[in-house]
Amino acid sequence: MTPNVRSAEVATNDKSAAAPSKEQSFLRLDGTDLHIGDLPPITFHGFASQGFLSSDTYNYLGKTKEGSFEFTEAAVNASISPFARTRISAQAFLFDVGNVGRWSLGLDYAMIDYTLRDEIGFRAGRIRRPEGIYNSIQDIDLTRTSVLLPQGMYDARWRDFNASVDGGSVYGNIGMGGAGSFSYEVYGGQVQLTEQGGVARWLQDLLNNPPTEYAGLHGFPQAGLQLWWTTPIEGLRAGAAWTEAFGFSYDYKLNVPPVFGGGPHHSEIDAPSEHVSLEYQHKSWTFQAEYKHSVYDSKDDLRGPSKSGNDTWYVGAAYRVNKWFEVGSYYTEYYADVSQREGTDAFQKDFALSLRFDPLPWWIVKVEGHSIHGTALLRDNANNPPAMHNNDGWFMLALKTTISF
Amino acid sequence: MKTNLFNSLILALATLWIGFSAARAESTVDVIANNSVAAASLDKAGLKDTLTGKTAYWPGGEAVTIIVLDGKTDAGIEESTGMSASAFKTFWQRLAFSGRGKQPKTADTVEKLMAMVAETKGAIALVPAGTATAGVKKIEVK
Repeated sequence: MTPNVRSAEVATNDKSAAAPSKEQSFLRLDGTDLHIGDLPPITFHGFASQGFLSSDTYNYLGKTKEGSFEFTEAAVNASISPFARTRISAQAFLFDVGNVGRWSLGLDYAMIDYTLRDEIGFRAGRIRRPEGIYNSIQDIDLTRTSVLLPQGMYDARWRDFNASVDGGSVYGNIGMGGAGSFSYEVYGGQVQLTEQGGVARWLQDLLNNPPTEYAGLHGFPQAGLQLWWTTPIEGLRAGAAWTEAFGFSYDYKLNVPPVFGGGPHHSEIDAPSEHVSLEYQHKSWTFQAEYKHSVYDSKDDLRGPSKSGNDTWYVGAAYRVNKWFEVGSYYTEYYADVSQREGTDAFQKDFALSLRFDPLPWWIVKVEGHSIHGTALLRDNANNPPAMHNNDGWFMLALKTTISF
Repeated sequence: MKTNLFNSLILALATLWIGFSAARAESTVDVIANNSVAAASLDKAGLKDTLTGKTAYWPGGEAVTIIVLDGKTDAGIEESTGMSASAFKTFWQRLAFSGRGKQPKTADTVEKLMAMVAETKGAIALVPAGTATAGVKKIEVK
């Protein structure tokens, strides 16, 4: 809905409002705005985060048993509104979590966004994929209380699989009077995967065991929908999302004589997911709960077809004590196979307690403890021999600091 | 005698309640905008939509630029958006770093804020109620 304009008057004395004065140079930086002549300003923002992870039993998200500083994220974005109702924006991003990412600089999003009216707009280019409360911002530390999001739902290593699509979306917000408002975003596009990404590292870990050998992976088309209902209860919103990865595939070799099935092989997976979310913000409190269920429908030219599914949920709360201190906590469970909820590697349950300090408006420091049971999300057999996995409790400490502008 | 006392008590309570309600209804902030903004007034829902990015453009197509007076209009942000000032900041960081919005600018004094609003086409800001609005336009909130 456009603002309810009761009466309008078009100003006639604003022709010089945004024009630089004669004393101003052709190129000037004003805060985070870069002015070039009479063009609309280009606005820049960015952040850099450095973390430290330490765990007592398993190597999780890196070689954390000995303490790991391999936990970095940084981004710089720029945006400009060159025409009416139009915005062009792009963000460069790099990250490292253990052996994933390796500080490889990539384009996080780069798109043109045209808002026809509040009820309908279009984005085209590389877009951050909306799903649940955090998917589009899962690697932006400054937007949350915790260091690590619930990892069964927002795995820090799998960002190339989850973060962006090359394609487009249609979005909008529809007012419903006394029933609140309803927003939607429908998207589709191609997901690009990298050999430094979490999916590739997982497959390399899984398949580089003689006689099998990892031989590469392929991007895939993905489509989805995110709906949000902002309820008439102030601060309460409910969301539902659906997404499907169509034909994610990888190759491997079986190094045995052909008569025993040796040679190159191909595996392809369709993966639909449903995701529901609830968030309530009241004064200094934030409450969140989410559930996600995914299905993996596989076709492998050696092993034949198979079907499995996993699910995960969490509940969390955060309280902003004052301008510089916030405390939060969540409890989450992840099940690798919904038909097998007990046993070694079947689940991972995590209780997290987070402290966030904002000593300056541009500087954040976080301290977080994780009490974990289960090993279903370790995914790093090279550094966690499966024979040592058990369901006993273990602990992880996470520290992180972020600066932003 | 008892009836008179009871009536006086009811009258006093009613007066207190009316006074309290009036105080509650009075906004702690005024809304100002750059002179390029065509709107002369907004209703409360329109103001909330504008400050929370649901309305990203003015009716003429000009991009909304929000400017925040750092730390001095926190109550006004809460009454206009339903979010605390820190939640409002986080909300906009979420939009900006996912490519879905333009983060508000900040000013640390009223004078700087007024200058920024006067210079920035499409700008909107909250200022402490009663602030002189020379060089910018005041938006009536209904």
